[in-house]
Amino acid sequence: MKTGLLVIKPGIHAVVQDQGRNGYQHLGVTPGGPADAMAANWANRLLGNAPGTALIEITAGGTEFECQTQSMISITGGDLNLTLNGKPQIPWRSFWVRQGDRLKFGYPRHGFRAYVSVQGGFQLPQTLGSCATVLRDGLGGLHGDGERLRKHDFLPCAHLTEEGIARQIPELYLPDYNAPLSLQLIPGYQQHQFSKASWQTLWDNEYELLPESDSMGARLSGPALSIPEGNLLSEGVCYGAVQVPGNGQPIVLLQQRQTLGGYPKLGAILPLSGYELAQRAPGTKVRFQPINITNAQQQMRRYLRFFGL
Amino acid sequence: MKKPLPEFSIAGVDAILAQFGDRMDEQLPFYLAKVRERLLDKYKGIIREVVPAYTTLLVYYEPRAIRLYDLEQCVEQAAAEVAWPISMSNAGKLVEVPVCYGGDFGPELTRVAAQAKLSEAQVIELHSEVEYQVAALGFAPGFAYLSGLHEKLITPRLETPRKKVPAGSLGIAGAQTAVYPFAGPGGWNLIGRAAMRWFNPRPELASDAMTPVEVGDRVRFKPVSAETLNALLRCSEEN
Repeated sequence: MKTGLLVIKPGIHAVVQDQGRNGYQHLGVTPGGPADAMAANWANRLLGNAPGTALIEITAGGTEFECQTQSMISITGGDLNLTLNGKPQIPWRSFWVRQGDRLKFGYPRHGFRAYVSVQGGFQLPQTLGSCATVLRDGLGGLHGDGERLRKHDFLPCAHLTEEGIARQIPELYLPDYNAPLSLQLIPGYQQHQFSKASWQTLWDNEYELLPESDSMGARLSGPALSIPEGNLLSEGVCYGAVQVPGNGQPIVLLQQRQTLGGYPKLGAILPLSGYELAQRAPGTKVRFQPINITNAQQQMRRYLRFFGL
Repeated sequence: MKKPLPEFSIAGVDAILAQFGDRMDEQLPFYLAKVRERLLDKYKGIIREVVPAYTTLLVYYEPRAIRLYDLEQCVEQAAAEVAWPISMSNAGKLVEVPVCYGGDFGPELTRVAAQAKLSEAQVIELHSEVEYQVAALGFAPGFAYLSGLHEKLITPRLETPRKKVPAGSLGIAGAQTAVYPFAGPGGWNLIGRAAMRWFNPRPELASDAMTPVEVGDRVRFKPVSAETLNALLRCSEEN
């Protein structure tokens, strides 16, 4: 008999993710991957899984599973009022689940996205070396068609004979998703074409995260930036690139971004800021703060080393 | 055009943008494709991905393996090693794409003709006699931005984008022409429908490559009748 998790309710937006689809951006294929890679990495680390092991990403909650296996499971990221058989559970830990157990995510209390991993990972089909779900491209996912999880979907995973050791993440490492967020921006791309006044406007003001945001891009709203004149030919856009279209409102491009963009760009935010941004609900106010490339690379180095990436 | 030298800007924490001049040239896409290959070949483990588009290469690298300054030297070196001018006679493969112009497949053919003050037949002739060049692949998997559109056919985007453009639609937006690989929203003027699969996500299962064209390749559209197009579409569905 196959063992795994059965989707009772898919909720608002639950998808499967892994490290993403790397090496195909020159053909127009976006990398994808978890919106909050930090929380996803923690979920796997709690179980001793290799980084990038396939897991579930739940955005905004409403998802319910029935365990048709017994396994160690980990929950990280946003606190979405998780219950196990009706009993409230706090995230950022691993625990034992048995046949018939019900895991139910409510609506966000803190943060916006939760990650669910199982020991050994889910066994999922890969497209171009990854199961990462990208709706727009129709790639990845449980059925390989880029769709989100649906009712009655079954996510196969191993059946463990022995209960593992429950772990939790030291409080020191727990992110505070309610803290004010400053996006660390590495100035780059067309930075010199934006006026001094535009830069001042960017540093001095708060920008609100709009509901139209998704894992392709975070759309912000605030005082408009005046954009450089002239037509830009489309060019490659990296993770965190901040592009400013004609209306002067910045868009931060995230994991599922288009591979090319034709709007002027201020630079790119530090990926660690992007992961934090992924945990903010629409309506949250954020600021921008400059960071130089050396400091930015140092911070990323520390993060990558910590997770063995 | 003289051989363009790269100028660098930081893109993000692990990417730089190398800009090769500021205008398009027919040699450039093929040249950039060559530089890209060379970079990936020579610097495995240091350079992870290179995304070409029009006049630029976005170079993703491993900051733990190389310093920014040295990386720029590597790109300069690779760019210097690729010959210029490119011999255009064997530059990139030529792919012929059967297209049924006009009718239900190309509702804006009349609009393009009207603004160009040409007949529909003349528009088809101007559009299908050119060898286009793939200047960039992006926006969606397999979406090829083609350069070389006859200037008479330059047509602004639709004021209100369509909610759904059928897969395979051939369109014009400004000076660009391209085929939509997938159904989706879009504001391009649709002038026909092409019978060709632009993206194959499972190259291991099929005989065709992931994308029929890459940056630097050339494309020519071959006008066919609606019957021929439908037959070709049926045929590709069966595969």
